[in-house]
Amino acid sequence: MRLNDRIFGLLMFVLAVAYGWGAQQFPEPFSGTEAVGPETFPTILAVVLALSSVYLMVRPDPNNGWPLGRTAVEMLISIAVLIVYTLVLEPLGFIVATTLMVGTLCWRMGAPVVRSYITGLIGGIVVFLLFNYVLELSLPWGVLSFLEVH
Amino acid sequence: METMGFLLDGFGVALQPHNLMFALMGAFLGTLIGALPGLGPANGVAILIPLAFTLGLRPETALIMLTAVYAGAMYGGRISSILLNIPGDEPAMMTCLDGYPMARKGKAAEALAISAIASFIGSLIATIGLILLAPMLAKFALTFGAAEYFALFVLAFATLGGITGKNPVKTILAAAIGLIIATVGIDMSTGVQRFTFGTLELYEGVDFIIAIVGLFAISELLVFIEEKAGAGREMIKVNKLKLNWRDIASVFPTTVRGGVIGFISGVLPGAGASLGSFISYTLEKKVLGSKNTFGEGDPRGVAAPEAGNNGAASGALVPMLTLGVPGSGTTAVLLAMLISLNITPGPLMFTQNADIVWGVIAALLIGNFLLLLLNIPLVGVFVKLLSVPPMYLLPVVTMIAFVGIYSISHSTFDLYFMVAFGVGGYVLRKLEIPLVPVILGLLLGPEMEKNLRHAMQISDGDWTILWGSGLAVTLWVIAIIGLVLPVIVGPVLRRRMKAKQPD
Repeated sequence: MRLNDRIFGLLMFVLAVAYGWGAQQFPEPFSGTEAVGPETFPTILAVVLALSSVYLMVRPDPNNGWPLGRTAVEMLISIAVLIVYTLVLEPLGFIVATTLMVGTLCWRMGAPVVRSYITGLIGGIVVFLLFNYVLELSLPWGVLSFLEVH
Repeated sequence: METMGFLLDGFGVALQPHNLMFALMGAFLGTLIGALPGLGPANGVAILIPLAFTLGLRPETALIMLTAVYAGAMYGGRISSILLNIPGDEPAMMTCLDGYPMARKGKAAEALAISAIASFIGSLIATIGLILLAPMLAKFALTFGAAEYFALFVLAFATLGGITGKNPVKTILAAAIGLIIATVGIDMSTGVQRFTFGTLELYEGVDFIIAIVGLFAISELLVFIEEKAGAGREMIKVNKLKLNWRDIASVFPTTVRGGVIGFISGVLPGAGASLGSFISYTLEKKVLGSKNTFGEGDPRGVAAPEAGNNGAASGALVPMLTLGVPGSGTTAVLLAMLISLNITPGPLMFTQNADIVWGVIAALLIGNFLLLLLNIPLVGVFVKLLSVPPMYLLPVVTMIAFVGIYSISHSTFDLYFMVAFGVGGYVLRKLEIPLVPVILGLLLGPEMEKNLRHAMQISDGDWTILWGSGLAVTLWVIAIIGLVLPVIVGPVLRRRMKAKQPD
C-alpha cells in the first residue's frame, strides 16, 4: 500500500487550493497595485505546492508503518504529557510541573518509577535555581510561591 | 593581505576572556551534543539558541559560542560511532566502519585519539580554505542583483536534498511548506495581513526558532518513544591510551586528503558532510590499494571519514557566511541565529559586520585547538555522559527545549506551537519528507519575496528579468541540474553507501 503519500498529497493539495484562494482575497494595499503585490509570492507557492502534491498522489513512495497498539498509545500519552505540562506550567510552577513531566516521560520510556521522578525533581530544581538566581530570568514559582524570598 | 589584518582583528575579538570562555563552553556542549545519539548537531544548536538569547549575549559572543558548538558536535559524533557502533550524527556514519572494529580489538582509546587528531587536521585545513575562499566569494557576490539572489535561493532549495537525496519532489514540497508558513503575518512592504485569521500572536509571523526547536527536539522524542530505544545499548570499555608519533604520522597523509575532499564537498551545494566523509573513505580505500585493511579496524579508515566530515563542516560555512544560503540543517540553524540577531547574512556582512565575521572565523580556529585539548584528555568524561540512557536524557532535553522557548516570550502560546510543530515534524519524518527545506523556507521566505519584489520593480513588471543575465541563467541551470541529477545518480550512490553501512 502506498496510501500515506496519497493521503498526505491530497491534504497538501487542499491546503494549496485554500491558501492560493486565500491569497486572492487580500485587500488591495494603500500604495496601489504593483507588479508584485502581497498575493504574488503566495500564489506562486500555492502553484508549486499544488503541483508537487499532485506528483505525490500520482507517484507515491512505499509506506512506512505507523505505530500501532501500545506504541501508538505511548506516543499519544507523551504528546498529552507535553500539552498538560504547558497547561500547568504557570499555575503549578516550574518545579512541580517539571517533576511531573520529566518523571512521567522517563517512566513511560522504561525507567523505574522512583528514579524517574527523582530525575525530574533534581532536573527541575537545578534548572530553576540556575535560571532564577544565576541568569536572573524568572520561571514561575506556582504553588511553591510561599518559598519565594522577597 | 587585507585578509590577514581582518583575521588578526578577529583574533582580538575571539581571544577576549569572556568570548574564550563561551567558546570553551560551546566546545564542551557541542562535543556532548554530537556524542549523544538522538541529539544531532542541528537539534542541539537549535535548543541552545533561545538560551543564548536569554543570556543577553552580545552578537559576536553568541555566534562564537554556537560556532564552537557546531564544530564540537562534529567531533562528538565519532565517540558513539566508535564505542556503540551507532553514529552520534549522520556524517559520523562512516566512522563506524573501522572505528567500531578497532574498539572491539581493544583499541578504543587509540581510535578515539586518532579520530580526534584527524578531526582537528581536517577542520584546520578547511578553516584555512574558508579564510582564503570566503572573502573572494563575498566580493564576487556583491555583483549579484535582486534577480540573481532570487535564482540563488531557488538553487539552494533545489540542491538541498543533496545528490543522495531520495525524492526531489519531496524536497520541493517541504520547501513550499516552509515558505508558506513564512508568509503568515503582516506583509512587510505593503502592510497587508496575510493568513493571520485575526489572531494577535500571528501578526508578527511564526517565530522560526519555535518551529526549529519543535521540528527537531520534540519530534526526536517521539521517534525515540516509537523505536523503544530508551534503554540505550551496550558500550565498549575504553582501554589505556598507547599512541606514539609514528601512529599519528602514518595516518597524516590520509587525513590531509580527507580534509581537502571534505572542504570541497562542504562548499559545493548539494554535497555536505555525509557525502564528504563517504567520498574520503572510499577514495582513501582506492588510494591505499592492497595496503589497507579497511573494514577490519584500520586506523586510516577512522581518520579518513573524520577528516572528511569535519572539513565539510567548516566548508559549509562558506556559502552560509558569504551568500546567506546555508547548505545543511546545522548551518541553517546558525543562519537562524544570525537573522534573529538582526545581522543580514550575505556579502555585505563582510564589510558591515567585519568584526563579527572574522571573530567567528578566528573562533573556529581557536575552537579547534580547544576541542583537541578537550577531546584527548577528557574523553573519559564524555564516555561517562554517553552512558546515560536516552530514557533519562531525552525528557531532560525536552525540558530544556521548553525552558528555552518559554524564556524568550514567557508565553505558553509559543509552547503549544512548539508541540504542534513537533508532532508535524514527526509526521513529516514518517513520510520521509525532509525537515531541513521546511526550516530553510521559513528562514529565507521573507528575503526571497523581497528580492522578487526588487527585481520586478527594477524591470517594471517584466518577469523575464529573473533569467535576464548570464549569471542568473547559470544559477537556474545549476538549480535544474541539482534537481535532476539525484534522480539519475542518486540510486547508485545510495546503494553504495548502504552497502558500506553497518547493520
